[in-house]
Amino acid sequence: MPLILTLAVRRTHKNSKLHCMQHDGLKKIENLLTEQGYISEPSIVMSIFLSMQLHKPLLVEGPAGVGKTEIAKVMARALEADLIRLQCYEGLDATHALYEWNYQQQLLHLKILERDPSVSKAAMESEIFGERFLLKRPLLQAISQPQPPVLLIDEIDRSDEEFESFLLEILSDWQITIPEMGTIRAKEPPYVVLTGNRTRELSEALRRRCLYLYIGYPEFDKELAIVRSKVPQIDARLGNQICAFMVELRQMKLEKVPGVAETLDWAQALAALHFDHLDKQIIEDTLGVVLKDWQDMRHVQLSLSQLLDKTGVVSKFDNL
Amino acid sequence: MSKDLIKRHTSLTANIVAFCRYLRTEGFVIAAPEEADALKTIEILQPYNTPETMRLALKICLTRHIGQAERFDELYDYYWKQVQKATDSKIADQKKEKQEQKPKPKGQDAQFQSLKSWLLGEKSDEELELHTFSATETLSKKDFSTLSEEELRDMFELIQMIARRLARQQNRRFSKHKNGQLDLRRTLRQNLRRGGEIVDLMHKKQQKRRLELVLICDVSKSMELYSRFLIQFAYAFQQVFRRIETFVFSTQLTPITDILRGSDFVKSLENLSERVPHWSGGTRIGESLAHFTQEFGQKHLSSRTVVIIISDGWDTGDATHLTEAMSEIHRKAHRVIWLNPLAGNPNFEPSTAAMQAALPFVDVFAAAHNAESLRQLYRYL
Repeated sequence: MPLILTLAVRRTHKNSKLHCMQHDGLKKIENLLTEQGYISEPSIVMSIFLSMQLHKPLLVEGPAGVGKTEIAKVMARALEADLIRLQCYEGLDATHALYEWNYQQQLLHLKILERDPSVSKAAMESEIFGERFLLKRPLLQAISQPQPPVLLIDEIDRSDEEFESFLLEILSDWQITIPEMGTIRAKEPPYVVLTGNRTRELSEALRRRCLYLYIGYPEFDKELAIVRSKVPQIDARLGNQICAFMVELRQMKLEKVPGVAETLDWAQALAALHFDHLDKQIIEDTLGVVLKDWQDMRHVQLSLSQLLDKTGVVSKFDNL
Repeated sequence: MSKDLIKRHTSLTANIVAFCRYLRTEGFVIAAPEEADALKTIEILQPYNTPETMRLALKICLTRHIGQAERFDELYDYYWKQVQKATDSKIADQKKEKQEQKPKPKGQDAQFQSLKSWLLGEKSDEELELHTFSATETLSKKDFSTLSEEELRDMFELIQMIARRLARQQNRRFSKHKNGQLDLRRTLRQNLRRGGEIVDLMHKKQQKRRLELVLICDVSKSMELYSRFLIQFAYAFQQVFRRIETFVFSTQLTPITDILRGSDFVKSLENLSERVPHWSGGTRIGESLAHFTQEFGQKHLSSRTVVIIISDGWDTGDATHLTEAMSEIHRKAHRVIWLNPLAGNPNFEPSTAAMQAALPFVDVFAAAHNAESLRQLYRYL
């Protein structure tokens, strides 16, 4: 990889916007979260606040579907900054994360330049390795903005160790060297949110660079509040039963534990079907909305009656 | 935690620093930058100074993963209670009710320690419960219960070497190569010297993909002595190498990958005994492996998979299932390695019916009874 990263330590940043929001900061973030329909917890508000104040990356871990990504969105709104997202996957490398040259255009442009004998080779080179042929990928985008954006590095644990250590360098230096162009340095480091759902242990070095927040599955009350806010047309009893059922369901040993997203899908589906309560038949018919794994499905179907007992959902049909 | 740490400090700042030190003795990785963060946080939070915000803020600053986050509240409460107590009685160095806790060893050390204490600590039990295949009883006992500290360290290093070797086989990056995909970037740079005329084409090729490991351990009665050791082995392995799936079987097959992934070994063991009711039961190798191919084959068997089966092949059942399952595994996997702890005995011959049925489908058959045999495994990978 023709990528050279030079070391430099920069730790100065002044942001007047931040200073004035210091005093109502916590409240403001809480309001923003509520505005977005995000039912939050003190720990979430606090970590967003501290990450902005200390200007340190925030590492958010937790199972899928608990609203980790939302945090970056809220942060971007709180700072009135752009949101740049880098989705990680296995095999993600620097060309996808940093930059790439637009080869096709470069080649064509070169052909045009050749027609003109007055253009020197050096001029040719400097022209085709200019900014217009540079495809900026998220990380380069994030550091070349005039205003520091919010950079969301999603599912960092999906990328491999090599990328993680590469990222570590970027996170400490905030500069990228492109051999053909020179070094690009961020005026002010972006605000960074990293998310992960623990498919792999992240290195201690990366962790130490971040503030840490773990978001687990919501408690019954919180989940009910989420359901009520996102599916306002839902019957009160049905909402209660769905959330109680989900709490019990997550106690089971499942391959793919359903998240809040599944709860909402289910609530939406059942509300659209105009049900006002849960019973065994309804659950059996619609379980596919909640469970996405064949073995889980079988597992739950076999123990459905027990599950319903615990939940306190007693079907009138069961007693017939 | 040493006594003087909990001496009463008059200012909040000093208290925070002392609290950081206390966390350090509890195994948290906290150095100057973290302390600085904590202090800065307290400053930032001046306008909202309630006990709850302070606890939350410190938690976010000072914890690094879920395990620490879970313990934090308890440690926090305990610490401030102690501070309070010290203030009340004005005697800082009074005896604490709590026993002195040793700082928890970190990372590799923790695994090493648990490995060691497990092996040495459980020795007496194991001697009482020997149910090993009788011919090799003495040998096997010697193999595992008398492991010296050096040997254990040796073993851990070996596991790391094995993990590293596996990791090195994959690189998803592209490298220069004579033929393969066209590398436009290099082509362009190379040919600029010729005034932009494309003469030389440069190519790149994706490097080899990383292997996946499937570990299938026999935990039936005849393997009891080894199986405990091997679970430790699997645990240590899983801690350093992430593309590994672990299963155990006796009369049935149980996946245990998620359990071994936990960071607390003792807790993992508890979960394990809960999950695997058939521990130290009879042996049904054939059925168990057939179960593996049916249920997990699609997901975990591919040309990138190395399957390691650890069993003594001591099965009284019908060998047809085993033949079928083994042939399928052999066909689909990159390589099949069978480790037999009994093979360490010089007089050993793989003569059991099950072993005979399985051998044609095994690429590597080796012993797994001491560090030396693990070193051999390293060579095979």
